[in-house]
Amino acid sequence: MILARSVCFWLEKLGSVATEWEDAAAYHDGDPAAGVAPRYVVVDGATEAYDAIRWVEHLAGSFVADTGPDLTPTGLRTWFEQVQRLWAAEAPARFATVIEEHKFHAEGSFATFLGCRLTGLDGPHARWEAAALGDTVLFHVRAGRLLLHFPPIGVDGFGLSPDGIGTRPAALGPMLRGLELASGEVRAGDVLFIATDALAHWLLLEAARDEASLWAALAGLDHDAAFAAIVADQRAAGRMHNDDVTLLRVRLVTAEPGALVVSL
Amino acid sequence: MYERTFSRTNPGCIVFLLDRSDSMKQPWQSSGGTLAEGATRAVNKILLDLCVKSAKEVGGQARHYFDVGVFGYGACPVAGGEGVEPALGGQPIVPIPQVFDSPLRVETDPSVDAVAGSRLPVWVEPVFGYRTPMCQAIATAGEHVFGWAASHPDSFPPIVINITDGMVTDSPYDGADLSEWAARLTSIETRDGQALLFNIFLSPTVAPEVLFPATAAGLPEPGPELFAISSALPASMIANARGARMEIADGGRGFVFNAGLATLMWFLEIGTRVADVRDR
Repeated sequence: MILARSVCFWLEKLGSVATEWEDAAAYHDGDPAAGVAPRYVVVDGATEAYDAIRWVEHLAGSFVADTGPDLTPTGLRTWFEQVQRLWAAEAPARFATVIEEHKFHAEGSFATFLGCRLTGLDGPHARWEAAALGDTVLFHVRAGRLLLHFPPIGVDGFGLSPDGIGTRPAALGPMLRGLELASGEVRAGDVLFIATDALAHWLLLEAARDEASLWAALAGLDHDAAFAAIVADQRAAGRMHNDDVTLLRVRLVTAEPGALVVSL
Repeated sequence: MYERTFSRTNPGCIVFLLDRSDSMKQPWQSSGGTLAEGATRAVNKILLDLCVKSAKEVGGQARHYFDVGVFGYGACPVAGGEGVEPALGGQPIVPIPQVFDSPLRVETDPSVDAVAGSRLPVWVEPVFGYRTPMCQAIATAGEHVFGWAASHPDSFPPIVINITDGMVTDSPYDGADLSEWAARLTSIETRDGQALLFNIFLSPTVAPEVLFPATAAGLPEPGPELFAISSALPASMIANARGARMEIADGGRGFVFNAGLATLMWFLEIGTRVADVRDR
């Protein structure tokens, strides 16, 4: 029996305050007794989006809920339509300015998306399944080596994808066309990381340089202050873009890991 | 170079030079309006876009991501006569939150694809008259851009977008011709690069649009001169354009000829977007 044990680290962009962090992550390590599969999601709200924080919280919470989507084109289409309907139903009755009103109607909100679920952890065919829109990335690491990352974006491909989950019904077609799906086999000892774009870009660069040290450090990360220090150092050195960063880590274990300290 | 993003820590500076000469009364393609109306519509639209980008919190103020300026040249509606005049409340460079809060008026969106009943703010009105003192406009704006760059050394360099329909009438001005004034403007720099000068050449004639060309071949007068003083698009802007599935040749310059409104907005969107939208 494989157990999934997850934790999330994040840091707002330099110059912002914590309440302006516009990524969101949610995780549910599942309940084997109840037959509930583990589910994980990281979303990255576009800076120019209308009320991005509300949109990413809405998406993250909805994905890991019991009513969260199947990771199939049909299941995701139904979920996209559902979250768009809820967004529209919660539209403000009045807008503070004509500019805010224009932004709500003409642009709406938008976020990149990486959703993942684990299946078969109690048998010989344990797997991850993932769906992606945009450049939030899943990394599958085994024995200190990167097996793959999904979507398979190159280091020069970040920030260029127009894909993500939008609030306007007109965005549904492009979302379905841009949707990417993938899956892979997992074993006890594997680690999955899901990272938003600035961090994912840095991970790819660092993995090419010294991946054993990188993955060991991140697999052993046990305090959000340590994560913040890594990000601050890399930003200061000009190796990581100044953006909100989020790292969701899922360790696949056969026994409960030791205590983890996270300050909230 | 040209890698900084717009942020509250390091805001950007976007300045428009708006031709208000007499020839701007000519019709703009099949729009039913004049070149002056088309140009001001484009400026109002991009100002709205900058406000929209800066509007973050629901019910809140715009964030100070940009400082903007609009300098009209030709007719001066406030001072009267011919010259160069700031068109945003008489102020040369204005923080975007102030722009956000002070449109001249709000009107119904006239575009055919607008949501029913939607309204748009207006900051700049169409005006035309007199000749085309483009050199003076670059010189005047340049003084303010120089001061801005000196006080924002870590920002993306200033972007100056000139919208005109024709021949400069004041070259040489104060001992320097148009190319010299343009060179002086683009020698202003921050640590992230030199100021960028882009040109929008409007025309009442029926001719194919030319967008971000890498050569002046085939452009009518004064297209080659305007092309020559236009900055090459930085790699970050080219990457953004290509990311939006737009074809741009390597070496493409910030120049457009004979644009309709849709192309004009494309041009302004590309020319004022400096990096990934999430890097703020």
